[in-house]
Amino acid sequence: MIARAALFVAVALALAVPAAQAFPVIGNHAVLPAGTELGEDALQLPRELFKTDAAGGSRSYLVNLGDLAFSSPSLLGGAAAQAGISCDTCHVNGTTNPRLFIPGLSTHPGNFDTTGALFNPKADDAVLDPFTTPSLRGARYLAPYGHDGRSTSLRDFVRNVIVNEFAGPEPSPAILDAMVVYIDDIDFLPNPGLAAGGRLAAGASEAERRGEALFAKPFPRDPQLSCAGCHNPTAAFVDHRQHDVGSGGLFKTPTLLDANFNAPYFHDGRYDSYEKVVAHFDRVFDLALSPTDRQDLVAYLTAVGDGEKPYVSDGVAPRLDEIAHFSSVLDTAIPAHDRAVIALAVDTVGGDLREFTEMFPDRKDGTVSGGKAERARARAALEELVLTLRAIDNAATAGQFDEAGAQYDAYRRQTAVLAPVLTAAVPWSLFDPAVHDAHYGALRQMKQAATKPTP
Amino acid sequence: MTDLSRRALASCLGWLLLVCLSGAARAVVADDPLDAVAEGLRPSLIEDIGQALAGAQTLHERLSAHDIEGARKAWIAARIGWERAEVFTGGFVPDLDEKIDSWPNARTGFHAIEARLFSAEEADMAPEANTLVFYLTDLTIKVRDAPLNAQRVLAGTTRLAYEVGEDKADGGESRFSGTSLDDMRNNLIGIQSAYDIVFAGAVAHADAALDKTIRAQIGELKTLLQAPDLKTIDSSRLRAVSEALVLSLRTAAPKVGLIAPTLEQLSQ
Repeated sequence: MIARAALFVAVALALAVPAAQAFPVIGNHAVLPAGTELGEDALQLPRELFKTDAAGGSRSYLVNLGDLAFSSPSLLGGAAAQAGISCDTCHVNGTTNPRLFIPGLSTHPGNFDTTGALFNPKADDAVLDPFTTPSLRGARYLAPYGHDGRSTSLRDFVRNVIVNEFAGPEPSPAILDAMVVYIDDIDFLPNPGLAAGGRLAAGASEAERRGEALFAKPFPRDPQLSCAGCHNPTAAFVDHRQHDVGSGGLFKTPTLLDANFNAPYFHDGRYDSYEKVVAHFDRVFDLALSPTDRQDLVAYLTAVGDGEKPYVSDGVAPRLDEIAHFSSVLDTAIPAHDRAVIALAVDTVGGDLREFTEMFPDRKDGTVSGGKAERARARAALEELVLTLRAIDNAATAGQFDEAGAQYDAYRRQTAVLAPVLTAAVPWSLFDPAVHDAHYGALRQMKQAATKPTP
Repeated sequence: MTDLSRRALASCLGWLLLVCLSGAARAVVADDPLDAVAEGLRPSLIEDIGQALAGAQTLHERLSAHDIEGARKAWIAARIGWERAEVFTGGFVPDLDEKIDSWPNARTGFHAIEARLFSAEEADMAPEANTLVFYLTDLTIKVRDAPLNAQRVLAGTTRLAYEVGEDKADGGESRFSGTSLDDMRNNLIGIQSAYDIVFAGAVAHADAALDKTIRAQIGELKTLLQAPDLKTIDSSRLRAVSEALVLSLRTAAPKVGLIAPTLEQLSQ
């Protein structure tokens, strides 16, 4: 099965424990093909940094609404919505998903073809041409959009992804605006290794310095070209233009910032290391690099592509934080009688809360032996939130916005006392690495039992 | 008499019993008149669990005869009765429930057998099937003896209504056999039986509009579950209606003298 290769590479990437809760998909009855890997069991997640947070402000209604929509499967249509896929599934916390693999649509972990038949048969171009999902960190500096730079408008690009690639319903102008505001608010990670103008900071190694010089050096056979000519260090390492670098067409210059965390590289994810990227340019542009030159360039790229605290542990606190931001759109939507946003919040946050509940295995999960009462209390607390959200939506649907407001007050009271209940159950939850391994190990055993030849 | 008409008759008799038991007789027969009405559920539970046992016995027999196709059919038949009886199993016999329906590391029960049975051409699972028969035999005894408390039946029904709305995009609980959608349909039959037989009369008496709402919600869930497969089910709407049904059942509880159950009280 192709998924075996996907799983193997996922192990090599070491971003998360290789296993499957829902994925890799097993059996032939799921929405996505057997062998699909979405990496949803990751215990380490990319850190998402917002411009407004960094400035000491609180995220606006539009940032939160855009983030909510970005995480909502209901924004998309067809198989994506059915499979519970949202923008965030592929752009995990606004970044990439190197484990993503969909048999028939992917050729390499981290890429997939958005113009295949699965997500929107009308968009099927009958050509397997998968692309990686680019990180959206610093997207406001990185126009035009799409690997081929087809769109100068982020808003138009987002709409195209939703409607044409994923067969979603036409999003409202307010939702599109909010998604653009959200994406534009995602920052690059801080990189103390870089100084003003994208130059290496004091303390850089000799190899990095030599690499920086090589990066700016004109190509021997094409002196008008250099790496820095396109990857402009003073402009987020891009030039906002498309080029043919021998990868099969015109593609826009990708940023090198945070790139250590954006593998695999090139539009189709064909290279999983800087070494291979440098070798490609050496070959295509006849750079005549020595082994030391190559190592120096790799050292430089690694210094440029670094970032502080690239990953955070999944756990109670970050999940509650995200749910609080998502739910906060109700502060505005209920008084505004905005039924569409209320429904979006209830559907998305309710779905997230149900997933959160499953992080505390129920009593039938024999991989966990202790903390039965703690797990039951954690599950009950989260399930109550799901039901209170549903009561909000029911009231709003009936036009009873005062009742919706009262239910929202109850929801806030419930969330205020949630953290201790959930934290008490963490030792027996899937946030605990040992429990996580036991649970997913059992799933792997089930999968192996299903595929093992019998004597 | 059809299965549905038997269940409907049980419902009518149950409500008649409730009316008769109101007043002086209630303290003699049961703590709550609805507990006596809940007795009306027992025949269908016995029948459902009997079907699960018969299926498991056939499963064991077919496996012993190396008839994989026959064993698969028997496994599926056994699941039908089991899923319909889940309003009972979670709340009244949690230990057996865990042995029979453990997931994902099933050493015993249905899922210990499922992955290999539906994936292999030949497999020696007769010992596992024998164990399943043992537990289901125990269950057939317990379902005859356990006092049927209406509060617990409501808790089991509410819990199951919530579970029907769980995400099954990954193929669900029975992903190897491909019968997760059937599981849900049979869960709903169990929910409807419990509501019709134990609660409907009392709810209609206390709040006719609420009874109508609950019936409509169960009806919509049924319609949604008529989708040809899991891939085409309207999962968002299914979740919304399942949660709305839970809210309705909890609203109904105090109107019929019961406590609104939390979803995890069966585990605590």
